[in-house]
Amino acid sequence: MKIMIIGGGNVGYYLTKSLSAELHHIMIVEEDCSRCKQIISELGSKRIEVTQGDGTDVECLREAGIFNTDVLIAVTGHDQNNLVACQLAKDYFGVKQTISRVKNPKNIRVFQKLGVDSVISSTESIAGIINQELDWTDVNKLLQERSPNVQLRKMVVELGSYSERRHLKDLGIPKGLILITVLRGDRAIIPSGDTCLESGDEVILMGGQKDIDQISRKFKVMQE
Amino acid sequence: MYIIIVGCGRVGANLVSKLSEEGHNVVVIDRDKDSFSQLGSGSNCMTITGMPMDEDVLKEAGIEEADALAAVTTDDNMNIMVSQIARQLYHVPMVITQTTDPEKQRVFTSMGLKTICPTTLTVDAFFCALKEGETEK
Repeated sequence: MKIMIIGGGNVGYYLTKSLSAELHHIMIVEEDCSRCKQIISELGSKRIEVTQGDGTDVECLREAGIFNTDVLIAVTGHDQNNLVACQLAKDYFGVKQTISRVKNPKNIRVFQKLGVDSVISSTESIAGIINQELDWTDVNKLLQERSPNVQLRKMVVELGSYSERRHLKDLGIPKGLILITVLRGDRAIIPSGDTCLESGDEVILMGGQKDIDQISRKFKVMQE
Repeated sequence: MYIIIVGCGRVGANLVSKLSEEGHNVVVIDRDKDSFSQLGSGSNCMTITGMPMDEDVLKEAGIEEADALAAVTTDDNMNIMVSQIARQLYHVPMVITQTTDPEKQRVFTSMGLKTICPTTLTVDAFFCALKEGETEK
């Protein structure tokens, strides 16, 4: 695959390193001249091209070879530059897939609304890891040692989400997922199919990452 | 009209004064609080210090009620991003974006933004002045 990376900072550098190891062709655009030289001298190979310039400049993108790009990944330190790079790639040059990093987690929604295909916020990922790990460290550790694919997670039923005021049997819980308990106020409800969820309920689940991700959407209010 | 001006540089500050003089309700946002000194003592508009593309800052500026927004910072990409947030997420009726790069202006105009490009305006003005000078000769 031909991948263009906008921004040759730490994220761009290590991304280039790992993607080129998987035999992808990488075109990297970086504004700082000495940084470009450093990337060439340290990572230089037939599969890596470095262009010095502004990755939000139409002419620069053209020169860097955007017409042959399958995926554009924007990882500069400025959210506005990442957005513009993705939009130029997608709307002007017809690149099929755009991926962007955002520094401000609030921009995830903004970027999604404005047409970026995938948005990644390290701030939010770390915050998410902390939230899910904090209370469950010991249990999760145990699970991880014995069965690395299974996780224990706590989720909150959000007001206006799909799951609110719905019976568990109608929730479409995947087969591989177990709903252990529903915490409501100071009670722990042992759930059955007829248990009806209310907003603010805390649901404790155990299962594989994929199933957890799938069900977690039903507890959150989705942005259109 | 309730108008938000993003960026208090030369363009922003002058625009604010002109609009305030006409009696419009103006709020100006800039990352640098020192930039507001350009507004002059007579100006009674509201100033907000903060990153303009942060939705919290925009909400503080009253983007939900704004009739118009003009993005005139020196950062083209910032102007483009703020304008799209105003237009597509908050449905501000009138949004105008400054971009100094004529090519970027073309692309984002075709994507629906109303843009003003100082480079093109200046080039045209110089071109006309030179032409006039030539015919006078």
